[in-house]
Amino acid sequence: MDILNARLSRRRFLQATGAAAGATAVVGGVGYSTLAPSENAHAQEKTAGGGTKITKSVCAQCPARCGIDVYTTDGRVHAIYGNPEHPIANGKLCPKGHLGAYFLYDPDRFRGPMKRTNPKKGRNEDPKFVPITWDEALNTIAARLQALRDKGESHRFALFYGRGWGASCAGLQGTFGKLYGSPNVAIGHASMCAEGSKRAKRATDGNDSYNAYDYRNVNYILNFGAGFLEAFRPYNYLMQMWGHMRTKSPKTRITTVDVRVSTTTAASDRALLIKPATDAALALAIAHVILTEGLWDKEFVGDFKDGLNLFKSGQDVPPESFQERWTYGLVPWWNVVVKTATPKWAAEITGIPESEIVITAREFGTTRPAIAIMERGPTAHTNGTYAGMCIHALNALSGSLFAVGGLFYQMGVPYGSLPVNADDYMDEYAKNGPWKKFPRIDMAGTEEWPMAGTMMQECAKNHLAGKPYKLDTAMFYYTNPIFTSPDAKAWEEALKDVFVIDTSPFPGETAMYADIVVPDHTYLERLQDAPTYPFEGWPLTQLRTPAVKPIYDTKVYGDILIEIGKRMKGPMGEYYKALGNTENVLRHLAKGFEANPGDNGVKDFESWKEKGVWYKKPYLWRQYRGEFYEWDGKGYNKKMTPEEVKAKLLKTPTGKFEFKSGFLEKHAEYIQKRLGVPPDRVGFPQYIPAMHTGGGDLHLVTPKTAMHAEGRGGNLPHAIALAQPSMGGRRTVFLEIHPETAKKRGIKNNGKVRIKSNLGVIEAIARYSPGARPDTLVLPQEHGHWAQGRWAKGRLPGNTSDICENVSDPISGLACYYTGKVTVEPA
Amino acid sequence: MAKWGMVIDLDKCTGCQACTVACGMENNRLPGENWQDVLFYHEGEFPSGTLKWFPRPCMHCENPSCAEVCPTRATYKTEDGFVLIDWNKCIGCKYCMIACPYGVRFYTDEKAQIQPDIKQVFKSDGKRSWNPPWRAPDNRDDWQHGVGIQPIGVVSKCTFCYHRVSKAPKGTADLDPKNPALREFTPACVLTCAPSARYFGDLSNPHSEVSKLIASKRGVRLRDHTGNKPQVYYLTGGAAGTIPTDRRGKKA
Repeated sequence: MDILNARLSRRRFLQATGAAAGATAVVGGVGYSTLAPSENAHAQEKTAGGGTKITKSVCAQCPARCGIDVYTTDGRVHAIYGNPEHPIANGKLCPKGHLGAYFLYDPDRFRGPMKRTNPKKGRNEDPKFVPITWDEALNTIAARLQALRDKGESHRFALFYGRGWGASCAGLQGTFGKLYGSPNVAIGHASMCAEGSKRAKRATDGNDSYNAYDYRNVNYILNFGAGFLEAFRPYNYLMQMWGHMRTKSPKTRITTVDVRVSTTTAASDRALLIKPATDAALALAIAHVILTEGLWDKEFVGDFKDGLNLFKSGQDVPPESFQERWTYGLVPWWNVVVKTATPKWAAEITGIPESEIVITAREFGTTRPAIAIMERGPTAHTNGTYAGMCIHALNALSGSLFAVGGLFYQMGVPYGSLPVNADDYMDEYAKNGPWKKFPRIDMAGTEEWPMAGTMMQECAKNHLAGKPYKLDTAMFYYTNPIFTSPDAKAWEEALKDVFVIDTSPFPGETAMYADIVVPDHTYLERLQDAPTYPFEGWPLTQLRTPAVKPIYDTKVYGDILIEIGKRMKGPMGEYYKALGNTENVLRHLAKGFEANPGDNGVKDFESWKEKGVWYKKPYLWRQYRGEFYEWDGKGYNKKMTPEEVKAKLLKTPTGKFEFKSGFLEKHAEYIQKRLGVPPDRVGFPQYIPAMHTGGGDLHLVTPKTAMHAEGRGGNLPHAIALAQPSMGGRRTVFLEIHPETAKKRGIKNNGKVRIKSNLGVIEAIARYSPGARPDTLVLPQEHGHWAQGRWAKGRLPGNTSDICENVSDPISGLACYYTGKVTVEPA
Repeated sequence: MAKWGMVIDLDKCTGCQACTVACGMENNRLPGENWQDVLFYHEGEFPSGTLKWFPRPCMHCENPSCAEVCPTRATYKTEDGFVLIDWNKCIGCKYCMIACPYGVRFYTDEKAQIQPDIKQVFKSDGKRSWNPPWRAPDNRDDWQHGVGIQPIGVVSKCTFCYHRVSKAPKGTADLDPKNPALREFTPACVLTCAPSARYFGDLSNPHSEVSKLIASKRGVRLRDHTGNKPQVYYLTGGAAGTIPTDRRGKKA
């Protein structure tokens, strides 16, 4: 009875009955009743009866990009369901997807462009925004950028972006930077996302990318810390595949390695609760068992020349005794790293019993197809790239690269070209201006971070130090580092003397520091393309079509950028005048479909709008029993040469999967300096202890939960109400703490606590979690907004970014969000 | 006449709560007042502690104890298996809330679950408890069947999406969301369930998928000893989605 009636206690029943219960909340702002009634949507193709129209669009609450059917009646959006003809959504949605109308009708949304009138900036400073016209806003921005350029200081303009969608928004930024002349246009957020996984793949198989996976056919998944049933992408599709994998024959067996109890660990066949930052040791021990017991895929990896397995614990193997096929450096890796990486060794490091390591390794090694998946969990530590390489090495040992039931990489979309070529519009400044001699403000790609593609988290620190220089103007698109970056408070200092332009339609933390706000449409109002993230490998791109006309005076981001461009002097302005607007961009992109009609008949802009998605199967390459084949139009019939495999699939220096990474060996000196790895070991996937930050005695891990729409869901009361399951929260998320750990510190169940690191203190409500690791605290990330709207603001728990030190994996540059150690005490 | 029923395969349920949210938006539920809910609880201790969950709609019982106690006959059982509330007749006495063994009936709380109170932001017109801009078209309101935004002063509950299901073609065996012709008649929670853990069909038709699943995968009903005879069946193979056992751990 307790469980079933958990939602209706006697107390609440009585409260509900009492006539005088206090509904006293005073709410500022304006309700929907005062809005001008919006008109019927344009571009609506399909009706659902009763005057209801269905518009094809794309969800924007996570990177998955599910196609959605938006139901509109009398100009009001009243329902969102998955698009049944969309290959990712298949008519389904995750819990976030249905909440799209909350964003559209958010009562705290910005209603048009504004400028700041209070020059002081801070958490408690009201920006005192006043409305301005779009012309004034765009002219102000363009004049500022032009003045910088005229002074030869255009490098001091940075454009920061996070969730870019496609060629009609973030895809326009690179050209803007090139024509304007700034190395900082644009700086992406990947180093605060999951860059470690990409770099691990770059170092081993040469593809700097996330993977696509064949979940339909896989029979074993060894999951290292991917939030498969919470946050891994594409979440909705993963759950569809979960239903398939758990009922197909044979049932896909799933072992999940994680640092906390989650829906994923709970639903898996086996959960291994590992000590944070030690995944590499576990993966190496699994490799050790696979090799010593002869379970590796001999057709992909190769075999001993005389067929006798010489991999014996602790013993060297003569390199010439083994003939490798599609891998490189297996025997050297064994001799230097794996031969001593026994299950016993790993058990001591990881806390996972030896017997479970052996059982897991045997299951993985004897089941085909078997894949090892991972993302940010094991890689958000200083040893993260190496951990990712150890995990990915298991995919080589199991022969699952490019195989049925295996994993591969995402193909691009054959978009048409833009109506104008930016190269024809480069003036002398763009080509050879003084900006050319400046590095990026984040120093990515310099000797400081030679292997990092982007280092957004470094920008505040570098600006404050004036090293390499000070920024003058910063524009933000779909990113909010002042709230989400490690050491977020550094951004609060840094942005005080920077002219800030925010494009978010919501009153987030960046907006509170903005000098000018040029609000984007919300996603149900946008015309915008969105090619897929790695999914099933074959190309797919989708289109958002407005379900309603914009209900406020907002502008789609692509047009904001183009309109600023038009206001610049010289050829740059001419380029943007010729480009026109985002719709023109999209029409030209869609011309690429004429020669490549999609499987669903999409062949131009109009049919793309109607269906909401273009895609073309199949994936063109396949590895089968140690041979690579290319699709010839009828089947995987064309055998590939090693040169073709190197050019298209295994893009390493050797054209093989490298257990001895040529990419890392090129940076041996740097890696030795930063991580202390001797040059002769640098190339091998290996375990090195992580350098934990924070100065405390307990690990703090900060997962993303299922209801969490990338921090932007903070102002959705419906999502807040369902903050469970991690951890048990209705209305909030809790700090998960093992009862013994709590009691030793005098912390009560449901008691308020202070969580401290070297950087500061945040508060949370502790919840006894007997399943938690006693050495690890779990607190979901990106709560504790100090802006973002009436529901988001000032709600416990605090923001984990405030106590996360800004330390990154020297190889990938990925911010080490999960490596902090903290102390906790009653508040 | 169909006898509509639901089967929930707990082996496939991922505990994502999309059913809860889809229902909440389809039926204009207030945040946190979930006709369809997923209950989470923890069992065991490290290193074998785990998380469990249990998805819970109204059971639409064959012998609904809620209808038995209703003094105004506002709660009633239809011939085709729905348990519904006639909001014209409901006096908000809440006897049904006590009588229901499954805790699936709702009276709009005076104190909002989430502050600030969204009812004050999207204000009621005096009859409805609130008036969100994403509300269903007004002509969908059907108080006789408890469909629409919950009015002030009455109890509400899951209708099995009566406004959708009741329009299904006669003789439909299963409302399979994969069938484009039946999508608009399928209950919101079934429609969106990503792992396809939910099935909805005619329990009186021995050829329906729901009947077959109950037979071949040993469908069980919650608290069968009460004699309520739910028309929601669970399939459970021991995965994390599970039927609560009331097995309590040590008191924290």
